[in-house]
This record gives sequence, C-alpha cells and structure tokens, in this order.
Amino acid sequence: MRAAPPAPATSAEPGRHGRGSPRWRQAARRPLTAAVLLGGVLTMAITVAGLLVLTGQPERPPGPASAAPDRLPPQGTPAPLPKPATLTAPLPVALRIPAIGVRTRLIRLGFTRHGTLQVPNSPSVAGWYTSSPRPGEIGSSIIAGHIDSYLGPGVFYRLRELHPGNRIYVRQADGKLAVFRVTGVHQYPKAHFPTAAVFGPAPDAELRLITCGGTFDYATHNYLSNVVVYSTEVR
Amino acid sequence: MMLRLNAPRRWRLRRHGGGGGASQHSARLAILLGAAVLSLGTAAGTAAAASASSMSSGTGWVRCAHLSPNTAPVDIYLYSFGDPKAMDVLRHVPYGEVGMYMKMPAGEYTAAIRKASAPASTVPVISANLMVHAGHAYTIAAMGPAQGLRLQTLNDRLTTPHGKSLVRVIQASLKEHHVTVRAGSATLASNLAFASITPYGTDKPGQWVLHAAGGSETWSGNVKLTAGTIHTLVVLDSPSGLKVTNLMDAAGSAMMPHGGVDTGLGGTAPGPAPSRLPWLAGLTTGLLLAAGAAVRLHRSRAVPRHAR
Repeated sequence: MRAAPPAPATSAEPGRHGRGSPRWRQAARRPLTAAVLLGGVLTMAITVAGLLVLTGQPERPPGPASAAPDRLPPQGTPAPLPKPATLTAPLPVALRIPAIGVRTRLIRLGFTRHGTLQVPNSPSVAGWYTSSPRPGEIGSSIIAGHIDSYLGPGVFYRLRELHPGNRIYVRQADGKLAVFRVTGVHQYPKAHFPTAAVFGPAPDAELRLITCGGTFDYATHNYLSNVVVYSTEVR
Repeated sequence: MMLRLNAPRRWRLRRHGGGGGASQHSARLAILLGAAVLSLGTAAGTAAAASASSMSSGTGWVRCAHLSPNTAPVDIYLYSFGDPKAMDVLRHVPYGEVGMYMKMPAGEYTAAIRKASAPASTVPVISANLMVHAGHAYTIAAMGPAQGLRLQTLNDRLTTPHGKSLVRVIQASLKEHHVTVRAGSATLASNLAFASITPYGTDKPGQWVLHAAGGSETWSGNVKLTAGTIHTLVVLDSPSGLKVTNLMDAAGSAMMPHGGVDTGLGGTAPGPAPSRLPWLAGLTTGLLLAAGAAVRLHRSRAVPRHAR
C-alpha cells in the first residue's frame, strides 16, 4: 500500500525535492511560519467541525432510505389494539411524528442549575423529562426538543405545523408503541409560561411536546415564546 | 401484600348516532325531567383547577363508578344536552368498578342508571345532571345502599401543592359502616361513614403502609405516593372482608421547572442572521493564515538561504 510519488512522512527520504532540501526540514527551521500554517489549518478544521455540529446534522437523515425495519404502522392504519392507560409504562426510547417528518431517539432530561427544564445538547435530538410520567402512563408526559440550531432547523422545527388529529408515536423500551393524537397546539410567551397547566397533573395519558417559537430576540439570543403541542393517548 | 395500583378496566363504550324514534325521545325527556328534580350532589367546590390544554380545546373529563355494595351490575348512560344524538353507554358495570376518564366536550349532561341489559327505552333507576366545565374532571358515582341509591357527582382535583400528593377516601363498604384509613402515621379518614367521601388531603410523597380498619374487619397493603399525583382510595367490601382500591386520579411532573424552555438558537429566525458571520470569518482567517504561511514557506525554499 504505497501512496503515489510522495513518500510517507516516516520515510527516510521524505521529500521529492532531493535529499538536501526537504520542505519540512525547512519548515522546522522556521517555527513561526510553520506554526502559522498549522494554526490556519486548525482554525479551518475547527470552524468546519463547529459548523457540522451546530447545524445539527440529523442522526438518522430522514428520507426514503428507511431500509431499517420500521415498526410504525403506516398512516391511516387503525391504531393497535386498545389498551388502558397504566400506572407504569416502559421507558420511552424513540419518537416519531410522520406528519412533520420527525424521527429521533429520546434522551433523558432533568433540571438545570437555574431550575429550568434541561434541553438536549444536540438540536437534532428530543428528550423526555424524567420527572414527568412516562408516555403511556396516566398523567402529563413531557418531551422537549429544539426548533433550530445556530444555523438551521432542529428536530422540532416543524412542530407548530401539527394539527389536531395528527399522530405521535413513542417507542418504548420493550419495543411497543404508545400512540397519541394531537388535540391542540398553543404558543405561550416564555414570560408567562403556564407551568402548572403544562407540567401539572392530567387525568388521562397525555403527551406534551415543547419547543421554541415566536419572535427571536437577537439581544438575548432567545426565542420569546414556547410552542406546546398537546396530545392524548389513543387506546 | 402490595396494593395493586389499579388500572381500571375499560368498559365497552358506545357512541350512538342519533336515529332516535319517538319512544326514545320521550324516554329521554322523562330522564331530563327526572334529572332536573335531582340535586347535583357536590355542585359547589369550584376549587378544581382547570387544565389549560383541555380548557382551550373545550373538553373536560368524566369517569363513572359503581360503589353501591348491594346493587347488581348496571348500565350507565350519559346523555348530552348540547348534542342530543350523542350518548355514551357503559355496560355491565359491577360493584367496585371505576371507569377510565372519558374526554367529553364541555357542557351539560344527564347521567342515568339502568339495570344491566335493560332496554335504553325503559325509565332509568336513577339519573342526575352534570355540568362539565372545560379543563375539569368529574367522577359520577352510584353511591349508597340499593334501597337508597343515589348518583353523586364528585369534582376531581387536577392540581397539587408543590412537591405534594393529594389523597381522598371514599367509604363504599357496607360490611363496615365506619372505617378509619391510615397511610403510615397519617390518618386519611377517621371513622368515615358508609357512602361518604373525605375532601382531598395533602400528603408527603413516599411508600406507605396503608391500613383500613372497621369494627371488626381490617385490611392493609402498600401505597406509593409520588409528588404531583392525585389519588382516590376506595374502601370496598370484598369476599374476605374489606379491601382498598387505589385510583390514580391524575399525575403530573414531580418537580416543576421554572419558566419557559430554551429550545432554540435562532438559526431559522427571520431578520438579521448574524450567526453565520463568525463562522465565515473563522473560515476566511484560517484560509488566509494557511495560504500566507504556505506562500512564505514556498518562497523561502526558492530563495537560497544565506550564510549566517
């Protein structure tokens, strides 16, 4: 496995410009120039890496390439056999919303130091709030995801496009699906976020999806509102 | 013994689409008239806080319960005032059963009870009116002895004090006319009379030993109370004496986060898009540095080195 003309760096004859004047030996004698070169290359590498991370390249790009076995029933198919809401459901592991092309694994979310809801580090992943009931249990389960990154759409970019009747599928740790039907989509100013209503008790198995919305405040780099999608389990 | 956290069996639910003949109409009229006479039970207590989700969508929740020990299984009908064609029927509901909550459009309803399998055209054994407010939850319970059967509407709470659990007790045992219920060291119901209900009480979350005792019969089990959850404990007659069923009325987050959720960085927001500039600048700087250095290296190679 030899590379073409230029020998590997480890070769005894590193350059193709003759034994006496290898470019890299010269560079070594000009440490400043070499450092600048290295710095430039590093800057570019870091910039590109940052771009890739912050644009939130989807972990599993959406599209027809769904060769992987898909356990979700096609849209329009009647829901699986009715099952009652329970007090204990398996942990949620993945989320799918066909109407807006969402397909993501679910991470666990807790609290920040400031007492606010933790949000996923990656804009392309959604997370379940571990202090809320699990999806499929009686009560109001909470899943949050980003509307966007610094550069492009996040996992919940199209969340506000959902309509009552749309289906939401949560895959549970045992492989089963909890199916929810959207009942409402609401936008609230963050300054007046209805915490008790969104996070408070519900008497049936509900799932609430949260992302950002409204005006983006470039001064504080925050959206001023939250979009909340309400859904109820289909049994 | 671990108290089985009750996941109520779902009853057969049927929504009939109108088509009512004259006889059905007159039957309904009779029900409505009968219902008007009856009191609404605990009609006051507007304390039950509303859930924003269903408030805006104009729906509330209703569940039905059969808690009359010596009454045979019944069919429970729910008629809507607003939509005369809509009718929900829960069939063959035995003593001790509490159904799942059903989401119902806000409005006025009449609940009616007939013997199981009795034709819908027959005059109900008993009926009562129910006003469903958006975002509120209700339990309609057949209470008391068979001879004095009544339909009671309970306002179910949907909010808990921060970090607490709410529990109330329904005494539906005829074997013991008075029952005391304790969870750990807390007394949830003291000498509670048959067919009566305690208000919701605030309880510390945790796993507790639940103990129910009447004059001679006792029962004990475990109950787990999580912060942000609301429970109804129902004391029932069982073949061996007493038993207690733990109903989860509602559940929310054990801990409430503060304020809104920061789930956006602005990359798709309209208006100025400053976020791209730093990256372009970084890329350009790197390119210039690298190119400059490369050119310098190239030159220094081309020009012979001078002696020092």
